[in-house]
Amino acid sequence: MSVSSPPAPSARLTARERRTRFWQMVQLMPIMAILVLLFGGALVLAILQSLGFAPWFGVNTFPDFSYFGALWGSSTFWASLGLTLYYATVSTVLALILGILLALALVKTFPSKTFYKYLYKLPLMIPYTVGIALAVLMLSNGGMLSRLAAFFGMIDDPSQFPQILKTHYGWGIIAVYVWKQTPFITLAVYAVLLGIGRETEEAAAILGASRRTIFFRVTLPQILPGVVSSTLICFAFNVGAFEAPFILGGGFPDTLPVVAWRYFNDADYTLQLQGMATVVSIGLVAGVILFGYLAAYRRYERRMGRN
Amino acid sequence: MKITAIYTSLLALVAAGAVHADTAQFREAFLAGEVDWAAVEAQAKDEGSVNLYYWGGSDLLNVWMDRVVAPALESQGVELNPVRITSTKDAVDLVLAEQNSGASEGSVDMIWLNGENFATLKRQDALFGSFAPLLPNAANLEWNPEDERSVLNLRDFGVETGGAEIPWSGEQYVCAYNADRVAAEDVPSTFEALRSYLEENPGKFTYIKPPHYIGNTFVQEAIYAHNPDGTGAEPFQQSSDQIPAAELARLITPGMEYLRDLEPLLLDAAGGSPRYPEDNAALDGLFLNGEVDFSCTFGLYAVATGLATGSYPEAAQQFIFPEGHMIKNKNYLAIPVNAPHPAASLVLANWMTSVEAQASKLQQTGMPSGIDSWKLDEAGAKAIAEASPGLVGVEQDALDANAAPDTNATLVDVIEATWLEYIERDSSDPIETIVARAYENLAK
Repeated sequence: MSVSSPPAPSARLTARERRTRFWQMVQLMPIMAILVLLFGGALVLAILQSLGFAPWFGVNTFPDFSYFGALWGSSTFWASLGLTLYYATVSTVLALILGILLALALVKTFPSKTFYKYLYKLPLMIPYTVGIALAVLMLSNGGMLSRLAAFFGMIDDPSQFPQILKTHYGWGIIAVYVWKQTPFITLAVYAVLLGIGRETEEAAAILGASRRTIFFRVTLPQILPGVVSSTLICFAFNVGAFEAPFILGGGFPDTLPVVAWRYFNDADYTLQLQGMATVVSIGLVAGVILFGYLAAYRRYERRMGRN
Repeated sequence: MKITAIYTSLLALVAAGAVHADTAQFREAFLAGEVDWAAVEAQAKDEGSVNLYYWGGSDLLNVWMDRVVAPALESQGVELNPVRITSTKDAVDLVLAEQNSGASEGSVDMIWLNGENFATLKRQDALFGSFAPLLPNAANLEWNPEDERSVLNLRDFGVETGGAEIPWSGEQYVCAYNADRVAAEDVPSTFEALRSYLEENPGKFTYIKPPHYIGNTFVQEAIYAHNPDGTGAEPFQQSSDQIPAAELARLITPGMEYLRDLEPLLLDAAGGSPRYPEDNAALDGLFLNGEVDFSCTFGLYAVATGLATGSYPEAAQQFIFPEGHMIKNKNYLAIPVNAPHPAASLVLANWMTSVEAQASKLQQTGMPSGIDSWKLDEAGAKAIAEASPGLVGVEQDALDANAAPDTNATLVDVIEATWLEYIERDSSDPIETIVARAYENLAK
């Protein structure tokens, strides 16, 4: 954009307005550059490759939908997709329920509240990988719980300990996600609760509403923006996360990010295009679901008369 | 101001071009035998550093690189830049991407690899050329094709090395058992005995999931042992061009059937789905925790090293399994065609194949010597023998007597694809169809 060029007569902006607009642009530039170049560039490259454009491997059959065809035509892809969505949804819902309960508890006054306010944020500062390592140390068949059981004579072989990790029920994966995301959702909901104050709830209570009615008719509609934004972020992360399902999952069929990694890691590098098709599919599925979720929420907001 | 900037950048460009012309010229002259070793060493000093890409999953090896290799190269005026990667394929991908981007020089000087990764680089014409026999320390290796022991230096997974990579370490696939849990008379020596053991003790065995090469090797051994013609590894030395799909399918069917029948007896299979660990670390953990009674890996000295580091159960013992089909191979150091520091790479390759390097590597990391002891003088052979951490529960003679060659790299891809389809995905297609499909996909 050229700034020094004379203003076009059609743009009836005063010099000051032009200046502020220009400064707005300048301030937006860094974030736009990152989004467009890094994120957008990677997205475009991924889509190109998934459609058969990879001249650096000597493969160029653009546009070629056979990679998507092969992927979507196999039953294992749908099994993987189902698993991916199952882990993501269950974790997000559990974290949401726990997060709302925790946030409601934190609003009340109780002794040593300051200490608890710091304590619940602890998992936020610990990386996922550490959480996964904790799960392995505690819950695996050779882990602490299993060893304690052996110590007290309840079992005499690791295989007798109930299998928590490495199954397709995904207890380990869900446990790590919930442990890490409950504080995050709590933080978002708690901030909204502080902002709206207690007056409306108290008014409802004086008018004779039960605690249940107060929660569903008064509190929940007010905290909904916090709920929607935090669950959006958690769900999107859970769909695309790789480490937890890879380390704690039950093996074949894997979740989609792990499937993609396996394609990328194969000695046959032409399979990377198939991997890219998998990555793009993850993006498509997550995008459609998140878009639908947001659209439903917007419609609800409009019905409530909020904008 | 501007003009100066343009001028400088032009100069830099010209200089870069000159350097590149230098490396290309050096490569041609060296491979033609026109550069003596002193000149290589002098050029290596000028280059000043070397980027070695290798799998960084072993702490012992990383420490050895930093404390032994780096100072040794320092004394020759070359700085070692070790790049530790999670999988060798990453380095291969990088070389190919740089080669195809049209850039004259890449960033990889040397890769530790073997098998499929070497075959890929060779297929893509991304190798420096036949440098190995030209190194002074090439005398420590058997190059004479008359001697059948030279096959490990001349062929890597059946693919001719052509001197484009130099042996660095030799390994054999050895299994260990936990003597606290397995009675000596129950230790299996054949696949049939392993199955009967697991029928008695279900869930006490698993192998690493293909396409990981350690998992592939277990599958290959099962195929050798169940070869319907009784010729073991012999037909699997041919490349996929020499052996038709239907013939390969016939040869591997009994082995694949065995592995399919074994599945319900593997770790956690009782809970619904059998569990295949992803890598060595995962399998070692299962073995150490008593979740499985056996652990198979490429590791002549894995038990001695594992006992020293505490990563193996104290009662771990090696044993001969499967009789007559214990795959033995070497792994290598290769120089890519676009290596930015070719002379320094040659100096590093030469030092790595010295007796001094091999003995200290063996002593500190438990990785067997890659040079051939019969080519060494008495002192050298003695140094290597004394550096060995020792075998636990087996004798070297027995290991040698039961050694088998590796499968041809082109067939490894097919066998791997067949395992994934037939065993992991439980495909109902006959093996013939699966193999034919794998052939088609690889021909693309």
